[in-house]
Amino acid sequence: MVAQAAELIRYRSLVTNLVAKDLKVRYKASVLGFFWSLLNPLLMMLVFTFVFTQLLGDAVPDFPVFVLIGLLSWNWTAASVGAGHKALVDNAPLINKVYFPRMLLPISVVASNMANYLLALPVVLLFMGIYRLEFTPWLLYLPVVILVQATFLTGLVLILSALHIYFRDTTVLVDVGLTAWFFMTPIFYRVEDVVDPTLVERMYWLNPMASIVAELHTILYYGGVPDPLFMARTFVTALAFLVIGYAFFNRVSRHLGEHL
Amino acid sequence: MARPNGSAPQTDYAIEFRDVSRRFVLHHERRASFQDWFIGLIRPRGIAEEFWALREITFGIRRGETFGLVGRNGAGKSTLLKLVTRILEPSSGKVIVNGRTYAMLELGAGFHPELSGRDNIFLNGSLYGFSRKEMTRKFDQIVAFAELERFIDTPVKHYSSGMYARLSFGIAVHMDPQILVIDEVLAVGDATFQAKCFRALEDLKASGTTILFVSHDADSVRSFCDRAALIGGGHLLDIGPANEVIDHYERLMHAGEPSVTLLRLRAVTAPGLPTEMIHSGDDIHIETLVRTPDGATTAGLSLQLDIRDDSDTQLFSTTVDLPDHLPVAVQSSQRPDDAPDSRVASAIIHAVPIASGILHLIATLLTSADRQVIDRQETLLRIDPSDPTQHGLLSLDHTWNWQSPSEAETVPTTNNHSPSLFRR
Repeated sequence: MVAQAAELIRYRSLVTNLVAKDLKVRYKASVLGFFWSLLNPLLMMLVFTFVFTQLLGDAVPDFPVFVLIGLLSWNWTAASVGAGHKALVDNAPLINKVYFPRMLLPISVVASNMANYLLALPVVLLFMGIYRLEFTPWLLYLPVVILVQATFLTGLVLILSALHIYFRDTTVLVDVGLTAWFFMTPIFYRVEDVVDPTLVERMYWLNPMASIVAELHTILYYGGVPDPLFMARTFVTALAFLVIGYAFFNRVSRHLGEHL
Repeated sequence: MARPNGSAPQTDYAIEFRDVSRRFVLHHERRASFQDWFIGLIRPRGIAEEFWALREITFGIRRGETFGLVGRNGAGKSTLLKLVTRILEPSSGKVIVNGRTYAMLELGAGFHPELSGRDNIFLNGSLYGFSRKEMTRKFDQIVAFAELERFIDTPVKHYSSGMYARLSFGIAVHMDPQILVIDEVLAVGDATFQAKCFRALEDLKASGTTILFVSHDADSVRSFCDRAALIGGGHLLDIGPANEVIDHYERLMHAGEPSVTLLRLRAVTAPGLPTEMIHSGDDIHIETLVRTPDGATTAGLSLQLDIRDDSDTQLFSTTVDLPDHLPVAVQSSQRPDDAPDSRVASAIIHAVPIASGILHLIATLLTSADRQVIDRQETLLRIDPSDPTQHGLLSLDHTWNWQSPSEAETVPTTNNHSPSLFRR
């Protein structure tokens, strides 16, 4: 256990290099490449804004900012889960030729999508400025929320990537699951608008992403004061995911070589 | 006072194999999805077939030694290297590796085509656990060795195969590994490059690096290695000074490509249908399909049949000289993709006295003269108990006697099975 942790630390430069590789390949080392990656969330923002303000009537004031905050955070999750659960199978040739802690493959997917998220965050601040929303010191709370999401995603992706070795149709379930999960997360609606408040309670319990997005809305969109206990509970859930994911992945990855 | 018994002074090994076996399970019906898994809950799948890529390998490579590994394709060389490099773990036994290892199992393993040579050097280094600082220090030497100064910022997808090889090899020899594992990668590149590689390897050798070197090229092993091992059929056939082992290897190769090979071994029911289970006391019908290209003769070859139990205890072994020509396999025992030149050697083991359990049936094709292993095949057979009142490994003929001793003479004797176990 200790030896394994030491090994992960020895291989830390692999994560940075894998993330760098991912970003370079994605953006093809061009500034324009980076702007292309912003196109998806901005387009989604326009679509949601059109649907909810023009087709359905105004729901949330300053809707574009509101929805963009949730969309960027959600995109990190969706991209990490979508690519991360396949990380081992996608890298099968490498796994069969070089030994390195296999865990770093799914972890680096979460990390590179986190880098992507961080690079896109200034756009949120830009829109907050355009819509004249208030910047409060609670903005500094943002790293805490990001840490909770990173912990949760790492655990989740470790579990899914280990499952995917044995059950290749995990991909099908992930695709369906992500769609359902998107709607169960308060990205384009306010938690306060949910008709049955008991459901909100359950949503927070079962879906860490709901808590994370709601907290992002609190500190960015409302500029309000976050409840420290709220994030603490989510962090405990995220840690549980990480511990289970770590243990499960270690168990499964010992027999990785013969299943790829 | 000497240390207690059993701790004889240990040789200073860089790599040590202790009774290492590696098994692969070939699932005929692989359960690779939830869908299969749910189906499997309702309908149990058949027994998986096993394949032993390596069996009971014990040897050591001394620190600072240059060690060659030779053997035919499929002998188990790659599996052995993957055990050394921790890509695979042994099914049983222990592999001990002392020292930082760099393995080159494939040229450019881990290179990303879209990245430049520069980025790939750093990425490759980190795949082997080297920090950015260490890589920065070695960077110039690697580029100089690879003669890629002009192209180091070009994506490697534009590299020629020679440039690819030079970069890959340049990284390997500059990592200062304590143990360097090289698999069959020197075959590419021109003569100048090969000479350069061998010079670099000689330097590493001189500086005390342990080198494990796998090659089909007998001459390079002979000239470059101190010692060598020959493996075949998953067994360690020979180990010793490189010259002698290579002589042995060449004798084996000159015996010609194995024209006759084993195609498949399986248990069948009396009408000839494959089965994975029989009942205790039944006859075991064993069918060995032998491939004889262009009607090659099986004269001078022997077939050995072993039966082991699940804990690898040898239950039975017999060897028989094959006739000049075996009967042609009937259509039903062939698969559509089988070559039409398969012959069959059948055996019946009468009234198997095993009560229950899994039997490993192993067929080995060897030369009659010097017992060289040519090919092996293995299959599993489950024995189900036929009499639920009996327990234990064996099913023994027995009778109970309720009569007084004076009447005992009239007790009927049970029929005994004649143990003629291998019939053609």
